[in-house]
This record gives sequence, C-alpha cells and structure tokens, in this order.
Amino acid sequence: MKGPFLRSPQSTRGLMIQVVAAATPALIAAVVRLGAPAAAVIVSAIAGAVAVEALYHRRGLADGSAVVTGVIVALLLPATAPPWLAAAGGAIAIGLGKAPWGGLGKNPFNPAALARGVLMVVVPAHLFAPAWTWDAVTAASPLSKEIGATAPGWLALAQGDVPGCLGQAAPWTIVLGGVALAAMRTIDWRVPLAYLATVALLAVVLPGGDRVAAHAPWLVGDPLVHLLGGGTLVAAFFLLTDPVTAPMTPGARVAFAAIAGAATMAVRHYTPYPDGAALAVLLANALAPWLDRLTVERRVTPRGRRAPRDQR
Amino acid sequence: MTALRERLAAWLGLAAPVPARKHTRDAAIVRLPAPAEVALPLAGLVAAVAPGDAVAAWAEVARSAAAARWPRRLHTPLGGQVVSIDGAVVVRGVPADAPAAPVAVGHRAPDGLAPEAIVAAARDAGIVGLGGGMFPTHAKLVSPHPIDTVLINGCESEPYFTCDHRVLVEHRDEVECGMALAMRAVGATTGAVLDREDYYPAGYERFVVRDRLGRDIPPRKLPRDVGALVLNVQSARALHRAVCLGEPLVSRVITVAGGAIARPGNYQVWLGTPAADVLAACGLDAGRAAQVIAGGPMMGHALAAGEAIAAGTGGLLALTAEEVVARSEQPCIRCGRCVEACPIGLPVPLLVERPGPDVLRCFSCGACHYVCPSAIPLTARLREAAAEEVKWD
Repeated sequence: MKGPFLRSPQSTRGLMIQVVAAATPALIAAVVRLGAPAAAVIVSAIAGAVAVEALYHRRGLADGSAVVTGVIVALLLPATAPPWLAAAGGAIAIGLGKAPWGGLGKNPFNPAALARGVLMVVVPAHLFAPAWTWDAVTAASPLSKEIGATAPGWLALAQGDVPGCLGQAAPWTIVLGGVALAAMRTIDWRVPLAYLATVALLAVVLPGGDRVAAHAPWLVGDPLVHLLGGGTLVAAFFLLTDPVTAPMTPGARVAFAAIAGAATMAVRHYTPYPDGAALAVLLANALAPWLDRLTVERRVTPRGRRAPRDQR
Repeated sequence: MTALRERLAAWLGLAAPVPARKHTRDAAIVRLPAPAEVALPLAGLVAAVAPGDAVAAWAEVARSAAAARWPRRLHTPLGGQVVSIDGAVVVRGVPADAPAAPVAVGHRAPDGLAPEAIVAAARDAGIVGLGGGMFPTHAKLVSPHPIDTVLINGCESEPYFTCDHRVLVEHRDEVECGMALAMRAVGATTGAVLDREDYYPAGYERFVVRDRLGRDIPPRKLPRDVGALVLNVQSARALHRAVCLGEPLVSRVITVAGGAIARPGNYQVWLGTPAADVLAACGLDAGRAAQVIAGGPMMGHALAAGEAIAAGTGGLLALTAEEVVARSEQPCIRCGRCVEACPIGLPVPLLVERPGPDVLRCFSCGACHYVCPSAIPLTARLREAAAEEVKWD
C-alpha cells in the first residue's frame, strides 16, 4: 500500500462544529434582544432540518451539516415568523435544497438561501411585513422602498434597532463569528472580503432606480446602510462561504463573491424587493461550476480527450 | 502533546499544510550493529555470483544486462558467503573494517581528475539517487545539455525525516567534496547546498530548481534541460567516498521515528539490512504501531514482510493511530482545500471526476490527501486516473 499515511486533524464534522460555534454569538444575541420568539425560531428551524435529514439519510446526521443548515435558516428568518414557518424553512432547506440532489456535497444551491427564496414566494407576508415591533421601536424594514419609508441611520442598523432577521439583531456578532471562521481557515477569507467590497463599491457608485429615487433616496451613495442592512453580513460570512455551493479555485471564488455583490445591489436598487442577498447567493451558486471550469482552463492547458490507441 | 499543538495550530490557521515533526533533528548519527545477513534486491540486475560463493566485503555481486540503458551495479556490504540469489542476493558474513584513515585526505578531490574518471567511479561504485528515486547517478553526470549549476538537495521536507540534515551537520565537508566532484564532472561553474524545508514538498526536484534558480522545468523535461543538476545530500557524499576512498555504495543514513519507536534517531545502516532488524534495534512497540512505513509518511509505502533497507529507503517509521489520524471517508464537500494545497495547482476534484492529461503532472506528493477534511484518498484516486490516462495516451 502506498502513502500518504497522514491526515490533517481538520474533519468535515469539525468544520460543521466550527460554523455552528461561530454562529452561536449571533443566536445568543438574537435571543437576548428578541426573547422567546427568536428561540422558538432557532429551535424549530434546526428541528425541521434535522427531521428531514433523518428521514432521508440517518447516517448523514453525524456530520452535523443539517444542524448548520437549520442554524443558517434561522438567521435568515425574522423573530416574528411563527415556529411552524421556521420548521418548514428547515425542512424545505434539506428536503428541496439538499436531499434530492444526493445529499451532502451534491446540491448546487445553498439550502438555506433556497429555503428563504421559497418562503419569500410562498408566504411573503411573514418575511416582508412592512412594519413590526422591535425593541419597542416600530419601523419599516431598513432597506424598504415603500411609500413612507424612513432613513434607518447606520447607528440603528449597527445596533440592530431595526426590523429584520435574527442575523441582523446584532451585526457585530455576525462579523465576530465570520472573522473567527476566516482566521481559523474554516472559510476562505477572500469570499466575504470580495462580496463586502463589491457591495460597498456599488453602493457608492451605482445610481438608484426610479423607486429608490422616489421613496428612499438615502439608499443611494451610502455603503454603511447596505453593509449593515438586510442580509449582507449573513450572506458574506455564512451563505457564500458554504463550500459545497461555492467554486473551488481561489480565483473563481473571488469572481463568485463579486457577482453575488453586484446581484445584491441590483436587487436592492432596481427591484421592489427590500433585500436581495439570498437571491444573489442563489444566482451566484448557479454560476459556480462555470466559474470553476473557467479558472481551471486558464490554470492548465485544456486538451481534448484522446481516443485509446487501439481505436485510432 | 504534538497532536494537540498541531490541532490548535490548524484551528488557528497557523499550521503549514503538512506538519514537519522533525523530532530527531538533534539525534546524532549512530551506527547500528551489522546484521548477520543482508538481502540485496536484484530488481532486474543479473547476479554475478552463485549460491555458496565466497565474496569479499564491497565486492560487486550483480550488474545490469549489457544492453541496459542506464547500467547499475550492486555491491555487498558484508564479506562471507552467498546464501541465495532468488530475487535478491543474500549474503551472510561480516562487514569490512572501516577504512583506516577515511577522513585524513581533508575531503578534497584529487587534483587533475578527468570528468570521465569521476563518471566511471560513480558507475563502478553503483551510486544511485538516495533521495528515493534510485536513478543511477553516473547517468546524470553525463548530460547532452550544458549544465552550469549543481544543487545538493537537502530540502528534506518529508515529515519526520532528518537523516540528510544530520549528514549535512556531521559530514558537510564530505558532501561539499561530492558537490565539487559533480561540478567537475558536468563542467558546472556554481554549486550550492540547499537545506530549505519550510514547506512540504520543498524537496521535489522541480521546486528546488525553481526556488533556487528561478528556472521552471517544463512538463516532461528534466533539470538538465534548464542547465541544472540536482543530487541528494547522501548521493553527493557517496560520490565523494567512491572517488576519494574507493568505497562502493553499501550503506546510508536513515531516520527511524514515530510514536511506536522507543529509541528514535538517525542511524547508519548497511544496505540490505532487514527492516525488522533495524526496527527491533530501535525498540519497536508493535502493539502501538498502527502503520509501519518504509520511506516517508507522505511518499513512502507500507513496509512489506521481509523487506530490507534499499538505497532509496530514507527511513522507517512506526506511527501510532494518533499520528496517522485515521478517519472514514465522507462525501466531498467541494471545500477546495486540496486545490489550494496542491503545489502545482491541479484542480484535484475535477481531475478525479473527469481525468485529463494534466493528471500526469501529479507526482503523488500527497498534500491533497493530507488536507482533505472528508478523508478522501485523493492521491490514490489521482494515481488511478494517471494509470488510466497512460493507457489512453
């Protein structure tokens, strides 16, 4: 038997545990700020994901990827979402986003982003409530372009004093977890960096659409609102960094993240949707295999497969 | 303790992809007692002796057939009686006395030595690449291309291995004499001893030439095509001993290490010594050994029953389960760690899925296998793909 005979101590399960650990400060902050409803969303989303994973592939539970999916689904849902909705989110993520494709490593789209996308279409009222109570502050979604929208102010965004998803309750916890993951090399630091840089750059230079100009002119030219508002940070550190649905080569990853950043800003400026981070992730996911092939063909000389000698 | 430190470093992202584990760095070379008999694998050579023959120590016992492209010769370290020549020449006896004044010459090559004489001495002494390749050294000393630089490769980047390092520490003058001889043989004007081992696989010949000279060797070309000759530290030393002392290649320094070895260190052994003898002398704890390896932990192979120390065997390792970190294979999560770890930037998972001619550039360094969190035997898969590719080519 030939070598190598050594293995790195970093295992797939270890990676999943690290991601859950990195998301824990954000989950705790959400529960502290939003109370029992947030806890119910977290528990239900994880339960939904794990239940479907158990139905599909019980041995797969050991790798912890279903728990990771449930946690990220929770970060993408508002605390006002009823528990059944959160459970459905987790179930959709695994049941539509992962299991049918062949399980871990085979799915082209990020399961949590897919679940969020499905729920946005099916039950938009629960995800895009125009206003809800949040720490006794009643306000519109920070990136809203509806009539009567108000400027959120970046301080309020940074403190999480605006309506949004669990992942927005305390943005610094997402950054903390994300930076820790990048420092431990669990995720590739290039991805969040390229994504956030693209969002910030386009926030500065991109003119808004008619709707933005009419109802929310403060959304143009303000990078902080776009970095802190909506799902930007969660997408940067927890969605785009999903290894399965991102490209494999470093160059392709940068392009992938930049495309997602551009798509995020396009949705925010030119569509009626208040946020486009999850949609942008799905779009970039779809391009990932192509980006991989593109960079690989530049790295190594492509040559057509030749016929075996005896067939020539 | 080591495992904990490596794990912590990996978590903090501080670890080099492959750990060094050079615990025997400061272990001075110790000569092991001579075995009762040696087994010298013929590997295609034709035996020049018959069972029952009496042979002197250092005598030639086999050589390549006359038509061989790169002829080799085999010498016995022991003087005594030939026991058998079935697959390997087995000789029972005692080693030669150490040369009376081996180092008094001052390690300077005799002046006025013709290049042809050096090549002939290397050929007659049966010197081969001791880094593991076992390619006849005399064939490298005759180049159709002009060579301006001789590099002595001490970039011993395989984990655990420190034998070349110790040879450089303790016998640098001999190595430098060998380098001077190689330079004279090929007409090179510069020579350098390299001992860079800050990353695995720094010792791969192509990387040595690239890192030191900034010259990229094109695929399917050799160092000599870019004007360089790369010799292993111990090959250079053997060249010195052949030319200056008339000693054939009959011994080498190996590293014996691993958690299941009671007395790890660097040992001077006679070629053909049964590996089991060496392991016993170093205190192998068979109960704790999860994997016994001939060669390095990255590019070596599992020790076979009855295997003996060959010229290319850089060491013997007996690793514990904790050291090898055995895990069951999981699905690929396309994390790309293998792509980043590959020293030549191969898109490993894509090549495994859909092999192409680029798979032939893989030199089985094992870095992708090492980093894979899903414990997929990527190097073995690439090897299979390469074998398939050769069939198609």
